[in-house]
Amino acid sequence: MSSPLPFADPSQTAQPEVLLVDDDDVNLLLTALALRERGFNITEAAGGEQALELLRDWTPDIIVLDAMMPGLDGFDTCRRLRRTPGFENVPVLMLTGLEDDASITRAYQAGATDFFVKATQWSLLAGRLHYLLRASRTRIELERNRAKLARAQDLARMGSFDWRKVERSGEPSGLLMSPEALRVLGFGAHERATLRTLLRMVPQDDRRALLRQLHEAMRHASVLATDLPIVLFDGRQRIIHVEAEPEFNEHGQGVGYSGIVQDVTDRRVAEDKIRQLANFDALTGLPNRRQLIWRAERALEQARRMNHQCALLLIDLDRFKIINDTLGHGAGDELLVEVGRRLRACVRHSDQVMEGQIETVGARSHRALEAVGRLGGDEFVALLPEIVTDADAERVAQRILESLREAIFVSGQECFVTASVGMAIFPRDGNTVVDLLRNSDVAMYSVKAQGKNASAIYSPQLAGLGREKLELETAVHRAIERDELVLHYQPKVDVRAAKMVGVEALMRWQREGKLVSPGDFIPLAEETGLIVPLSEWALREAARQARQWQQSMGFSESIAVNLPSRLFERSDLVEHIHQCVSAVNVPHRMIMLEITENSLMKDLQNVIPTLHRLNEIGVEISIDDFGTGYSSLAYLTTLPISELKIDIRFTRELGITPQSSAVVTAIIALARSLGLRVVAEGVETLRQMEVLHRLGCAHMQGYLFCKPVTPSALQDWLERTVLPRRAPWIGNAADGDGAGAEELGRSASARLLR
Amino acid sequence: MSPDTPPGPAPPANAVSFDPVALERLRELDPDGRHGVLPRVLTAFETSLRRLLVQLAAELEGGDASVVAHVAHTLKSSSASVGAVVLSQACADVERRLRSGEAGSLQADIERILLAGEGALSTVRAMLRA
Repeated sequence: MSSPLPFADPSQTAQPEVLLVDDDDVNLLLTALALRERGFNITEAAGGEQALELLRDWTPDIIVLDAMMPGLDGFDTCRRLRRTPGFENVPVLMLTGLEDDASITRAYQAGATDFFVKATQWSLLAGRLHYLLRASRTRIELERNRAKLARAQDLARMGSFDWRKVERSGEPSGLLMSPEALRVLGFGAHERATLRTLLRMVPQDDRRALLRQLHEAMRHASVLATDLPIVLFDGRQRIIHVEAEPEFNEHGQGVGYSGIVQDVTDRRVAEDKIRQLANFDALTGLPNRRQLIWRAERALEQARRMNHQCALLLIDLDRFKIINDTLGHGAGDELLVEVGRRLRACVRHSDQVMEGQIETVGARSHRALEAVGRLGGDEFVALLPEIVTDADAERVAQRILESLREAIFVSGQECFVTASVGMAIFPRDGNTVVDLLRNSDVAMYSVKAQGKNASAIYSPQLAGLGREKLELETAVHRAIERDELVLHYQPKVDVRAAKMVGVEALMRWQREGKLVSPGDFIPLAEETGLIVPLSEWALREAARQARQWQQSMGFSESIAVNLPSRLFERSDLVEHIHQCVSAVNVPHRMIMLEITENSLMKDLQNVIPTLHRLNEIGVEISIDDFGTGYSSLAYLTTLPISELKIDIRFTRELGITPQSSAVVTAIIALARSLGLRVVAEGVETLRQMEVLHRLGCAHMQGYLFCKPVTPSALQDWLERTVLPRRAPWIGNAADGDGAGAEELGRSASARLLR
Repeated sequence: MSPDTPPGPAPPANAVSFDPVALERLRELDPDGRHGVLPRVLTAFETSLRRLLVQLAAELEGGDASVVAHVAHTLKSSSASVGAVVLSQACADVERRLRSGEAGSLQADIERILLAGEGALSTVRAMLRA
């Protein structure tokens, strides 16, 4: 046996070390001489006792023992040697007399490796020693390899076994397991494990399958390779890999199997873990994007083959970001887990499908693909592998929306979430998973744009909407947090008294250094509902500004804030305003609310109670854009309002078309009879101002006086123009009618000031 | 002591010659005599023989067969090694008789070995002196 290792056996090159034990000096001397002559390194001992003494701290390669010695003879010496650790396998050659048969037998019984008849034929002795040394080396090598194998098997939790059908040449029939194999299966090294015992360790269901497999393998004498779940005697569950090859006798008949068992539990657990991580979302345990896409692709294949439809539902939580931001990510995660759990109950969710396992199942196997998965963030997908009509998908969407209706408790708080569901149907709305995902996304965003908490099926018209708007929505939402919103103020003036009678607050958005016009984000804010937080912010800010002006310049008039009708529907509006003014300690009347005629009339019934309550606490209501809507004059008389604002369109036409002055006249008359103030909006020229004034309207607002400006600019304007009475409009209005060339020129310059 | 000397019935004491083949084998261990193998072996033999003969003579009184057997066994092989064939043969005979329990007298055994041993002793002394 040759070893691949270069340092395998020094005794092969060096002189073999021999311990020579003989009580007879002559023989000892002669044998030593003869063996030294032949390349052996000899240490002499004159008897058994001396030999054992020498061996206490030294191990020769071979020991040559004279059998007959006084005191401790060769046999006893050998026996003692064999009982000494480390000397179990050292080769021992016993020297006996020629016709001494009894000694030969005794030598073997004492543990001698071999015997040699004492003679003076030294070459024969040397040859025998070489032979024994070689055998010993081979044996050592073998032992070493066996130990290595055993250790390797132990490390690999592996062991070998043999199984014989019938008794054969001394080997018993049945199962013979190596100590390592026994260890793998939880047995002691000396216990005996029968096939029957082992089979009982396999759970019943698997046992039946295993028996079938065993019979099958034996009948065909085929290779056996399988993974078995087993329960050890201590109750631990392990996965054992069994691999065995058949063995044949000289007639080619299978006589048994020879193979290995290996505990592959850890590997299996790791594989399962990897598979789990690769295919399932760690947070919710739902299929992840990869698994979902894989399932969707399989579903499409099946749908194509069997000519049916399938549906992809994209479910996006509404305002999840707010929850995440206000309650923290931990709470956000909790919420996602609960949402995942509820969504999963809305479909015939199946967790089992793994890659590569679907093809083998029957025709309805695509049913097993049905699932809810998490794409990431707050986006979920429901895959319906077979639907008959759109209504099937819609039903699931409804179930989903319904399932979220109940409050979710996270971090001890009740949370309400809604979702927007976009649906795309194969093959109509897309032929690939990518197309279907994109189109369900489009449909989902259309839901978001229309107020969320609903579902929609994709249609080509929807494409292109949505996404942009939503980005804007997100940005508007952030605008409040980042203080990007400001209020600009436009004064309402009494031209007759030449003084400011109030201001209207107008929202401006400084988005990334640029001023965004209200027309670009207010409609969207109204549409998405963001107008509510925006308006609430505006009320707070207006109250703060009122307080500041009150202190800086004795401001005592009111700041009018524009509110959409939906805000009036909120029961907490009155309370909110109360908080805003109380927080800064200004009277309620310093906040005035403007509502457009249109929005007022649209929700009249819902708005009226609030209007009354607002009036009761001193908050006045002004009707904006008056004259453009379809006011019921009957209602108008009963509404608790204080002011009508003439729409800019009529103001602009004053002096140009006679109809506009007719309308303005009528409004003024109406207001007067109802005891309401009238304010004309959009006054840009002195001529308009004069006409209005002549018609009986003294309160005006417009670029002629001042465009909407920052709070400090408004204060400036007051101090430089109104108080010193230095504005062009001041003199003119006081003078009565004085329209002329000069005024036209001024109005042109006023226009330039915009 | 010529190599032609034929082995025969035991010559008188002090006149036995050793087997030349055995001696030749000893010389082969040290062909040019550099290591003094022959004198060392003969010296060892002489010492051992003297000691064993004293031991043996004591048993003329004591009569312990096992001591006699041991001496016979030891001398049998060492005397063969140096070519003291008469002594070796005597030892072998005695050893065989003692082991097999053949009829005979321990006294006669001892005397036979003593006689052959004295002869070998004088021969080896002569060789060492030469």
